[in-house]
Amino acid sequence: MTRLQKPFLAPAALLMLATLAIPLAIVGAYSLLTRGAYGGVEQPWTFESYSRLIDPLYGAIFVRSFWIAAVATALCLVLGFPLALFIARSGSRKNLYLSLVILPFWTSFLIRTYAWMFLLRDTGLINTILQALGIIHHPLPMLYNDGAVILGLVYGYLPFTVLPLYATLERLDATLLEAAADLGASPITALLRVTLPLSMPGIRAGAILVFVPCLGTYLTSDLLGGSKTILIGNLVQNQFTTSRDWPFGAAVSLVLMAVAMALLFSVRRHGEELI
Amino acid sequence: MNEIAMSRRKFLTGAAGSAGFVACGRSRPRLNVYNWSDYVAPDTISNFEREFGIDVRYGTYESDQEMLAKVMGGNSGWDVIFPSAEYISPMRELGLLAPLDHAALPNLGALDPSFRNPPWDPELRWNVPYMHGSTGIVYQKTIVPQPLAWADLWDSRLSGRITMLDDAPEVIGACLKKRGYSVNSSDPAQLRRAQSDAIVQKRLVRAYLNAEVRDQLVAGDVGAAQAWAVTAAQAIAAAPGKLAFAFPKEGFPRFSDNVAILRESRRSELAHRFINYLLRPEVAAAIVITTRTATANGAAWKLLPPEIRENTVLFPPPEILARGEWFEPQSAASQKLRDRLWTEIKGA
Amino acid sequence: MKKSLALYAAGAYAFLHLPLLILAVFSVNSSQFTIWESFSLRWYRAAFADRDLIESAVNSLIIAVGATVLSTAVGTLAAYALWKRASGWINGWLSGSFYLSLVTPEIVTGVSLLVFFEWVFRFLHLRLGMHTVMIAHVAFSVAYVVVVVMARLRTFDPVLEEAALDLGATEFAVFYRVTLPYLAPAVAAAAMLAFTVSIDDYVITSLVAGVDSQTLPMVIYAMARRGVNPVLNAVSTIVAVGLGAMVLLSERLRAS
Repeated sequence: MTRLQKPFLAPAALLMLATLAIPLAIVGAYSLLTRGAYGGVEQPWTFESYSRLIDPLYGAIFVRSFWIAAVATALCLVLGFPLALFIARSGSRKNLYLSLVILPFWTSFLIRTYAWMFLLRDTGLINTILQALGIIHHPLPMLYNDGAVILGLVYGYLPFTVLPLYATLERLDATLLEAAADLGASPITALLRVTLPLSMPGIRAGAILVFVPCLGTYLTSDLLGGSKTILIGNLVQNQFTTSRDWPFGAAVSLVLMAVAMALLFSVRRHGEELI
Repeated sequence: MNEIAMSRRKFLTGAAGSAGFVACGRSRPRLNVYNWSDYVAPDTISNFEREFGIDVRYGTYESDQEMLAKVMGGNSGWDVIFPSAEYISPMRELGLLAPLDHAALPNLGALDPSFRNPPWDPELRWNVPYMHGSTGIVYQKTIVPQPLAWADLWDSRLSGRITMLDDAPEVIGACLKKRGYSVNSSDPAQLRRAQSDAIVQKRLVRAYLNAEVRDQLVAGDVGAAQAWAVTAAQAIAAAPGKLAFAFPKEGFPRFSDNVAILRESRRSELAHRFINYLLRPEVAAAIVITTRTATANGAAWKLLPPEIRENTVLFPPPEILARGEWFEPQSAASQKLRDRLWTEIKGA
Repeated sequence: MKKSLALYAAGAYAFLHLPLLILAVFSVNSSQFTIWESFSLRWYRAAFADRDLIESAVNSLIIAVGATVLSTAVGTLAAYALWKRASGWINGWLSGSFYLSLVTPEIVTGVSLLVFFEWVFRFLHLRLGMHTVMIAHVAFSVAYVVVVVMARLRTFDPVLEEAALDLGATEFAVFYRVTLPYLAPAVAAAAMLAFTVSIDDYVITSLVAGVDSQTLPMVIYAMARRGVNPVLNAVSTIVAVGLGAMVLLSERLRAS
């Protein structure tokens, strides 16, 4: 058992060292330095970037990001569960239905975000149809707000909940449901008291797979939020490009990661580790 | 087991095939040009490639900051860039620019006299002015009120239909001008007042967009946009009779985008040839006609058709230009303060 | 309940697919506005005439294929080794780093890799290009591979391996002929996942790509930022159809 360990682990260990450990160490170092006038970092070493984070403005950005990510995750779970259930119970057509979920997921996330720009614009399809039907007389501003961002996130990450939920539901022992039925439970009751609790591992996996990327999202808020909705991901990106404050960007990144890791550990259950 | 072996083999053959396809195609000399979007005519680059036998990789960006972020490391791979005037000094101090060899630029004489000794580079040692313009307000002729001053963009009747540029100096500059200060102010008190104005305005702002706003103006999505004259001229031409441009009453910034060569470039000779080509009057004129930009090339200006030559958006008369103010480079401290204020505006 | 589930599923599928179908419909609209004019392929002609677009698509494919092969291989082996022995400081450290990789937002990964590459290049005289993009893609997709393969491994009964060992097989033969076939569906799924995240990535790629390594998402983003563009509709449709065909093909192969 031990002879394979080293050669099997070596490539991964080397990769993670070079592409995760060292770069993050450099980011950590940068967070303690001072910004150069036009970007980059220079001496002296300081905690200034971290102390700046205490400003309520940045707290508000964190809260807004959490809120949007939480809403998007909840929607993904709620919308994804029935779909996963349907696929798990569809017998021979399982693979077909699964492919149909994965299919849009295979298109570029960008393209799918762009598709919503196309639909939600003032002169886009939805407004055109609503105006043609006489339901509204002026275009509804559906783009460039938090709602559009959440919609874009849900649309993009829905498959991320469907897949783990399906994986858990598929492994569900059908005899348990038969037993519930035998004991007089209606299908709904069986769903709520047998299926749902047993699919918690899938729910947890799905929640993490969606919440974490949503927390650090930047594309969706950039394209659908009109550069107005600034979330943590946009904040970091700004610091490394237009605002040129690398140390501050590095500090924000590390705090974000710490928060996300804390969440991850709190949700974890023994025997259920992803890795 | 067989599935894995087969799928792996297929992956590898696919990879090898595509690699081969791409590899066989590059044997001519190469030049990498990084420019603003919509700043050349459709055939400018291909004509250059054909005449000189050089392959041009042409990339575009939407803001100076984006360009600077890419080239700051000194190892970006680009040869020719188009920084705005206020970036020339800082980039030169950072050692990013290569000095120009005037002997390789015989067409320099075609420049308009007013651009031969620009304040940011009097001897044209580091750059050649390319296109210039002003920042103002593009608006639908049907909206009420008609925004003729920066202050009008704070009017709540325009709520949700205003866009501002996604550019810190421009937004802060508009706020400063609204209060009667200089766009280049480094006074912290003035800057903070400008910042609070921007935050107040944010509720009315639909989005922060650069040249991207053009299509939305044409489509009618946007009522009034803070925009560069170039974008404005393009939008007005694409939607005849619907849009107008105002040079704000309080004053406005002027900008000049200039072509420069990066110090890291190993193709200085090719780069000079490219710049010289751009300086040809007929080339510059062709660019203006298709892209509605305002060229700094005086000889080209003479070749333009009357309706473009007399386009006041691109070539405003002197009495309007008198209200304009060039952007100037900021001191390190002022730059840091402005960047921080911009982060706070965006985060509010 | 089965009926209401089916009805709901239909609605969910519509939500997932309609936006793209609408894009496809308007990609053959001769007008550039959202009003139907007539059937036309002009936007497709424009897309294929765009040299940069084609080149970026090829770049994306090359990177995706390379990164998929590497990350699937590395990730599968690592998952197996971690499953066999979860303790020990290297194993603990490696699992931790996979967690970290999953938790790190893309922008942070991108920025940290950019900073790392720039630092390395001071000594190696290299610059950003296809190779840096591919390394970056392998870096962030390995954790996904490990998660998928590990999930499958947890349903594998170790007794089977012990039996093979008892029958005299070497450790490697046990892995290759007993465990790996069982893992095959998960490895295939992981490979598909790695391919998807690679070909779709914008944030990290845009930060570590060099002059010669424009990928399709980068070109699409630039076009999308400029606003709605009918050529983009055509490109989206092509990509969706192309990838869709690939998915169906791989499903067909898996089933056979």
